[in-house]
Amino acid sequence: MPDLRIEATINGRKIARNAKPHLRLLDFLRDDLGHTGTKEGCGAGECGTCSVFVDGVLLKSCLVPAAKAQGTRIETVEGLAKAGELSVLQQAFHKAGASQCGYCIPGMVMAATAALRANPFADREEIKERLGGNICRCTGYQKIFDAVELARDVQNGRRPASALAEEDAADGAFIGVNVRRLDAPSKVSGALKYAGDMVMPHMLHMAVLRSPHAHARIVSIDTSEAEAMDGVEGVITAADVPGVDGFGVFVHDQPIMARGKVRYVGEQVAAVASEDPLIARRALSKIKVVYEPLPAVFDAHEAMKAGAAVLHDYAPDNIVKHIPIRVGDVAKGFAESDLIVEETYSTQQVEHAYLEPEAGLAYVDADGVVTILSPSQNITHHRHMLSRIIAQPINKVRFIMSPVGGGFGGKEDMVYQGMLALMAMKTRRPVRVVFTREESIITTAKRHPSHTTYKMGLTRDGRIKAVEIKMISDGGAYGMSTEGVMRKAAILAAGPYAIPNVKVDTYGIYTNNTPSGAFRSFGALQTQFATETHLDICAEKLGLDPFEIRRVNAMRDGASTHTKQALKSVSLTRALDAAEKAARWEPGVPNMRGATRGDLNGEGTRPSCTLGARLAAAASPKTSEVA
Amino acid sequence: MAKKRGRGVAACWYGIARTATVDRAGAWAEIDDGGTAKIVTGVTEIGEGILTVLAQIAAQELGVRPQDVTIGDNDTARSPEAAHAGATRQTYMIGNAVALASRQARAALVDVLAKHWSVDNQSIKTAAGEAWAEGTNHKMPMSDAVHLAKARGVVPVGSASFGTDTTGLDPVDGSGRPWQAYVFGCQVAEVEVDTLTGEVQVLGIWAVHDVGRAVNPRGVEGQIEGGIVQALGQGLMEDYRTVNGHATTPNLAKYILPTSLDVPHVTSVILEDPDPLGPLGVKGIGEPAMIPTIPAVMNAIYDAVGVRITSLPATPEKVLEGIIARTAKRNINRVAAE
Ligand code: FES
Ligand code: FES
Repeated sequence: MPDLRIEATINGRKIARNAKPHLRLLDFLRDDLGHTGTKEGCGAGECGTCSVFVDGVLLKSCLVPAAKAQGTRIETVEGLAKAGELSVLQQAFHKAGASQCGYCIPGMVMAATAALRANPFADREEIKERLGGNICRCTGYQKIFDAVELARDVQNGRRPASALAEEDAADGAFIGVNVRRLDAPSKVSGALKYAGDMVMPHMLHMAVLRSPHAHARIVSIDTSEAEAMDGVEGVITAADVPGVDGFGVFVHDQPIMARGKVRYVGEQVAAVASEDPLIARRALSKIKVVYEPLPAVFDAHEAMKAGAAVLHDYAPDNIVKHIPIRVGDVAKGFAESDLIVEETYSTQQVEHAYLEPEAGLAYVDADGVVTILSPSQNITHHRHMLSRIIAQPINKVRFIMSPVGGGFGGKEDMVYQGMLALMAMKTRRPVRVVFTREESIITTAKRHPSHTTYKMGLTRDGRIKAVEIKMISDGGAYGMSTEGVMRKAAILAAGPYAIPNVKVDTYGIYTNNTPSGAFRSFGALQTQFATETHLDICAEKLGLDPFEIRRVNAMRDGASTHTKQALKSVSLTRALDAAEKAARWEPGVPNMRGATRGDLNGEGTRPSCTLGARLAAAASPKTSEVA
Repeated sequence: MAKKRGRGVAACWYGIARTATVDRAGAWAEIDDGGTAKIVTGVTEIGEGILTVLAQIAAQELGVRPQDVTIGDNDTARSPEAAHAGATRQTYMIGNAVALASRQARAALVDVLAKHWSVDNQSIKTAAGEAWAEGTNHKMPMSDAVHLAKARGVVPVGSASFGTDTTGLDPVDGSGRPWQAYVFGCQVAEVEVDTLTGEVQVLGIWAVHDVGRAVNPRGVEGQIEGGIVQALGQGLMEDYRTVNGHATTPNLAKYILPTSLDVPHVTSVILEDPDPLGPLGVKGIGEPAMIPTIPAVMNAIYDAVGVRITSLPATPEKVLEGIIARTAKRNINRVAAE
């Protein structure tokens, strides 16, 4: 197909370009015109990071063919700041602390701009509705709503422009002051470059071949046809690794690319680099891998049984890690209890869903230093691991952490950086990889799913005499952070309560599922979900208020933890008191008081939501709202 | 009534920085020309706002302003090791390292000024871009102070490392000192459950968290609000599924995330119980903010409709199933009583 001719006005400037006919408007803006403020979070119309105005209409540019740009007037986030001055809305985002990682922010600013253009007096509920197509994984949205309301009021003259300014700090005491985020202007303006926005001269694009099997022996890999393809500059497999292959946060059980066998669907097997990302992707289909499927195991309990498929030779029982915690004698504690409550709890596998999919850029510099730029949460450890893998001294390996578009633990694993380094070494050219949303979801670590059996014994006054907790967790195909997650889960399992007899066991287990790894709250979320729910059940049975049962058992200053550590200061009872007061909690037994409570629907709650109602109301604007 | 409300509570605790191992972080500081400052450290921003936090800490410790601080970071070949970005360790580990390095850089400048004005080192004050000797008329902008230092052959630099006094766990009984700083928190949730559909809306969360000392209170709120909404996602809707190892939720159309319409109003209460071991008293907030949310919401669902959710997420189907089972049980009891 011949190139397209596109003539359009972009951010007030006329452009005339030839473009490849398969491009989306998003690609045209980013790759051909360098407007990388417009981001790709999903490529499927689900996240809103790619939002732009086309002839004044807010559109998701990942869904628009580039050809549609012909003859239009397009505004991107880069066009909002006039003459270098941030728009009122951008300033409001800065002031309100509405940006965190920033990856959703350009799209969010565009959607919010559209909201206030559509209705300059939109109230908070309408603003929420109008931002409903834009996902933010970091902020919880509240500061974004605050920002849009602030901008609305400044634009309408209800609040002075000074409301956007920095707060003063008395006497140079800046600790404890709401200093505006220093990186916010770069985020609200779209100027900040994430790894996938960066380019280098002579750069190649890398695509990754992935396993279609959950467990299979690799009989052979034939890359010759791919290598012979026009435009292919390099192909790599595990055979290209010069050093000791293996990475992982605790145990180095994962090869850079599958070695001898694959252990989960989506595992990386080979990679291709080309100047043209399309050629790189096409070449993947020319790599011939012969697999011999092996029996697989998809359930942690099954994997612990004798005769289950074994994933790693070093762990014939499929146990990644078992962490025990023991205090006192639980049998004695249960014997002394008036009430024993048993329950099981389970939690699911969860995706980090940071808005920035994995991306990185690697090159070998003039001094032979292998340099990897990526949104890695652990450049220190990655450098160590990579130096062994590529058999180079540590000072010949350099990791640079690019702006991270959300991590939450999911970017602690060195999933793709090793491949990038190998490819850069092999081709002697800069190489970039950008995962699709699907690749990001199916191949990177998740929050550990868990299955917990729980037994608690208490006396009539609510005092916990003993707890016995056993958690089995599916770690998936590789160790990643499983060991640490099991440790934190175990240490914190029984909650911040003084309990004389404690028995905790957490087990992380290998299976042929997508690996589990580090995720914000790291195991403690799973076990404390169980403990805090269990306490509610016990409070009901004992006729106690839920704050009361926690106060009765709360660790206090000088307490000894379940790992027998003495704590000087314990702020728990202060936290309980403050929460009870802030929420205007009406004391009582948690036995389905429901709507009979007097503390409902007060300050601190939002209106209950009926989808569409607010936009309908907004369609007939009340003139009385005009300031 | 088709819609029923309820409330629940849950508490939490968490350890700050790396677990059951010695944690450490390094930083360099320099008071630079024009009264500006350079801070260099190994690992920083993943969205939580640590760059701003470090600039605030450096500014206060050195006597400049946050906007005067340039932070060079995140490069294993150009900056000192600060380990990794996670484990709720950034403010604690790197913040404290930056404070210590800044104090050293400031001390070098103070030496020069004290000699210049013939006063005690202790009488020298620096704040927001100015240096002066207390109880005298001696005063100059930091830009002049740096100029003076350089004329005396001194570049005011400092470097420091902050480490923890922690141990591994005993392999048999788990005893040990996994962290030197702990935080505690508590959240209350108010929900509305639609008894016809099983849909749960979280309308309000009151979140109290001890952070040691809040360097940037708005940033702390941001962490609490963001953590709560991530937890709500796991509590109510998110569910990564595989069948025989193949993902059936491989995109954002299938893997459902909280949007602006799903979030509660969050009221944050910041509690400050300063850490006695670090130079600043700071602790952290990133991860603990998430922990009480799910059980508080599940307990609130029980309060509203009497359905005890022990397996996540509490999807409308699951909640509705619980409501139907309860009603059926009640009816059976009624029949039995008749
Ligand atoms: S909506 Fe276009 S990238 Fe997600
Ligand atoms: S700030 Fe919204 S996704 Fe990170």
